Amino acid sequence: MNENNTGVVFDVQRAALHDGPGVRTVVFLKGCFLRCQWCHNPESWSPEPEVAVQPDSSGQYRTFGSEMSVQDVMRIVLRDRIYYKVSGGGLTLSGGEPTLQFDFCRALLGAARQQNLHTCLDTCGHNSQETFAALLPLVDLFLFDYKLTDSQAHLLWTGAGNELVLSNLDFLYRSGARILLRCPLLPGINDSQEHFEAIAILNQKYPRLHGIEILPYHDTGHYKFGLLGMDPPRFNTSVPSEEEQRKYRQILASLGVQIGN
Amino acid sequence: MKTLNEISVEAACEKARKQTGNPLALEMLFTRIYRENKEAAPATRELKCLQVLFPAIFQPIQAGDRLAGRIQYPLVSFSAEAMGLGYYCREGEIREVARLAAFSPEQVREVEDMLGFWKSESTQARTRAAYPPAVEKALPSDNWTVESGIAFPLYRMAGTVLDYAKLMQAGIPGLRRELEQRRAGSAASKAQSDLFAGMQAAVGLVENACLHYGAQAEFEATRAADATLKEQLHGISRTLAGLPHNPPATFREAMQLFWLYVLLSGTWNYGRMDVYLGPYLARDLDAGILGEAEALALLQSLWQLMHAYSNQFNNRVFVGGMGRANLAAADRFALLALEASRSQSLNQPQLSLRFFAGQNPALMTKAITSLGEGRTFPILYNDDVNVPAVAKAFHVSYEEAVDYAPFGCGEYVLDHRGVGTPNGVINLMKCLEVTLHDGVDPVTGIALGIASGKLDSLATFQDLWTAYCRQVEYHVEALAVQEKIEYEVVGETSPFLLLSLLYDDCLERGLPIFQGGVRYLGGTLETYGNINAADSLAALKKLVYDEGRYTLRQIVAACDANFHGHESLLRELRRAPKFGNDDDQADSMAQEVHNHICRATMAQAAKVGLDSYLAVIINNWANALFGKTTAASPDGRLAGETLANAINPSPGMDCSGITALLNSLVKLDPEIHAGAVQNMKFSRSMFTQHRPELEALLTGYFRQGGTQAMITVVSRGDLEAAMREPEKWGHLMVRVGGFSARFIDLPHEAQLDVLHRTLYE
Repeated sequence: MNENNTGVVFDVQRAALHDGPGVRTVVFLKGCFLRCQWCHNPESWSPEPEVAVQPDSSGQYRTFGSEMSVQDVMRIVLRDRIYYKVSGGGLTLSGGEPTLQFDFCRALLGAARQQNLHTCLDTCGHNSQETFAALLPLVDLFLFDYKLTDSQAHLLWTGAGNELVLSNLDFLYRSGARILLRCPLLPGINDSQEHFEAIAILNQKYPRLHGIEILPYHDTGHYKFGLLGMDPPRFNTSVPSEEEQRKYRQILASLGVQIGN
Repeated sequence: MKTLNEISVEAACEKARKQTGNPLALEMLFTRIYRENKEAAPATRELKCLQVLFPAIFQPIQAGDRLAGRIQYPLVSFSAEAMGLGYYCREGEIREVARLAAFSPEQVREVEDMLGFWKSESTQARTRAAYPPAVEKALPSDNWTVESGIAFPLYRMAGTVLDYAKLMQAGIPGLRRELEQRRAGSAASKAQSDLFAGMQAAVGLVENACLHYGAQAEFEATRAADATLKEQLHGISRTLAGLPHNPPATFREAMQLFWLYVLLSGTWNYGRMDVYLGPYLARDLDAGILGEAEALALLQSLWQLMHAYSNQFNNRVFVGGMGRANLAAADRFALLALEASRSQSLNQPQLSLRFFAGQNPALMTKAITSLGEGRTFPILYNDDVNVPAVAKAFHVSYEEAVDYAPFGCGEYVLDHRGVGTPNGVINLMKCLEVTLHDGVDPVTGIALGIASGKLDSLATFQDLWTAYCRQVEYHVEALAVQEKIEYEVVGETSPFLLLSLLYDDCLERGLPIFQGGVRYLGGTLETYGNINAADSLAALKKLVYDEGRYTLRQIVAACDANFHGHESLLRELRRAPKFGNDDDQADSMAQEVHNHICRATMAQAAKVGLDSYLAVIINNWANALFGKTTAASPDGRLAGETLANAINPSPGMDCSGITALLNSLVKLDPEIHAGAVQNMKFSRSMFTQHRPELEALLTGYFRQGGTQAMITVVSRGDLEAAMREPEKWGHLMVRVGGFSARFIDLPHEAQLDVLHRTLYE
């Protein structure tokens, strides 16, 4: 592992509780293959650092992304070692799609492994099989997205079909990876019976999945499209209510899927 | 939310408004008796005065009370800390009462005569009169809540924690016997004999209190229509009947004796209650004398009496921790106490849990549940860190340090072996502000401190740092001398018979508590604005001295203008490193400021002749009050805004996650002070949806050296909703600084202070 390896990071979130087990530090790597219209981190799309074209609410022009070395990142990550230890937490790489900065991603995971930290990789699954094969030994838990069942719809909403995603999921599963399947749910877009049934089929097909989580759509990152000078995507969805979320869980439960979050 | 002080003043005004009888009759009588005994031995004089007060100031048993004991103080009398220092006279309030009661000219003349007498005779007046010129100059004012200034004295003998185990064991007859023997001892001098005789007679007041309330309970029982109430009152009188003749035998008797002694002695922090009440609880439960539900109801009643006694800063009850005798019984009491606090949402008593790695985990589990329900109790104290830290800071053995017991807003003291009343306050942000104005307070234009150099002479950061340190030390030295003088004046004036009787080593030495009796005579200094000073120094170091982007003069001018026209500089100052983010630059500056004030304070003990003199970094209102008189500061704080709360980051400035905050907090050395308050605000979902992670965060924090945690749990939006519609949010409890309060009872500034703190979710 090369500690001088650098990458573009747009956020380091300490004490994160929602991206893997325990107390974690989540490192957000810039750059993504997909263009999910509901993305709450549009600043992650471009692999380069960016400066906002509009000031934010405090009148500042925010910078998104800066170059950091593996050492820079690990210096922050290791400050919370005791909390990882007592909670079973560790490092999560997220993005963007963290595998896009492959060398940096691998170096970070390697550095964490060297320090005996638990590692999670939060991925959309859209990259080459070789990429995942190379990272597999360094990842304790994959947080693997499953967004849409119909490949045409996947193409329409994210910019790519889902064949590669599904084949990587299959590859990782058969290679013995621990996988938490994470399903974003967007009213009117993928809260269909067909999609829920597809999740149930995956659940049956992969009985050793670590778990399945649902991620109800939220619009808290929407304002960032404006800051970045991008046209905010226009589509018909809404933030699901508590009631709708309960309903999703019920439907999935009736199909034999226990939701882990 | 009112202090005993405020409750008593309000009662006096109410009495005056009714205009039935003389509302100042007790004050007049007290003054007359004092005058008649002015030249008598202090023990005799104090006793005569106490005999005026008791049982006169006891308040009636109220329906639902399962134990007896309520109190209100007159506007002239004697107290350790509740109403004033020693013999006190509340001149302003007395004039108000006289006005409300529409006194005749004759009565007004009597009142003026009384006020004139106390003007020079009150213990506070005698203390100030004893200041040498240097102290007078450094501490010109006593009016710290209103006037702008760096340092002020406080007048009180606060934070006594009595030997209740001894009280339980001896009971009234045992205390009498011991005093009789000591009095008869051939070695007793005249002064000692007077002291022991005074104490003996004071024990008589405890017995009288039992008789007084016993009779009252019986009388009320005859009038009570309700059978339950009748039985409750009979229960009170039965409990009281045995106490004059025997040491307490039951849980109920033990609690009753404890409580009456508390009220008579005027103390209001209770130390390790599970140690002294646990055995009675266990015995009664095991013998079937008492059921769990009844035991809980009794303890809830005691909690309610504490809540009514004084309702703001004190009433500290400790359970758990190292070195407890009769561990199993103590744990049973601890669990009952946790349940009493969980099951009734009161802001008092301030139940606190000491814990260590090997403790029965049931206590912490119960504690986390109570906190998660938004009770703010218990406050958590980590013995693994605190016991060795107390041993070092107080220079005592590990065995003695094991009995540390924080009081009030979080000052540590050694249970019934030490006193450490906080009798000075210092505003470190003001110290820096005055340093940046060469000894002049920019708010008032008055020369306040030492002229430590014009801005041009502060060419390096080291120059600035040295000037700041000199300013601090000048005031700390005066405050230490002041503390010692206050002890001396109080010591000469009053033996505090009932405090001395239950304090090591007063009886052995035959000396009153504040006149050589107490084993460890210490003092504490309340420090404020520590983090603002540190963040300000860090910003100045970065922008002026390291990067050279601004001159010191530019930044001081911007602060003087409250940043009007300097908005971009203000933004830069706010972006500079801030304590609470695990940022080495900011945190190392906080360490420098912390080490300096703590060590400067410590160093005074030997000079003034105290066993310890230690800084405390706690909070009551003072961060808001001092904030009002402190100009805009280089950390980006605007003029008048509150100062950071105790040892916590400035509100909202910790934005790197809870682990970063916790890591910053543990960097400040706990071995050089007598208590620092850490407040944390969590969302309810942390406790409901992420309890294992929450527990891991606390565990990690404490293992790294976290000393304590005061935890507020709210939901996002609760606080704002409560400010909009207070009538719906009476249940919302928050930890303000070193005390808890119903959020809606807080003044606006304090509400904002709590609101602006980072919520971790």
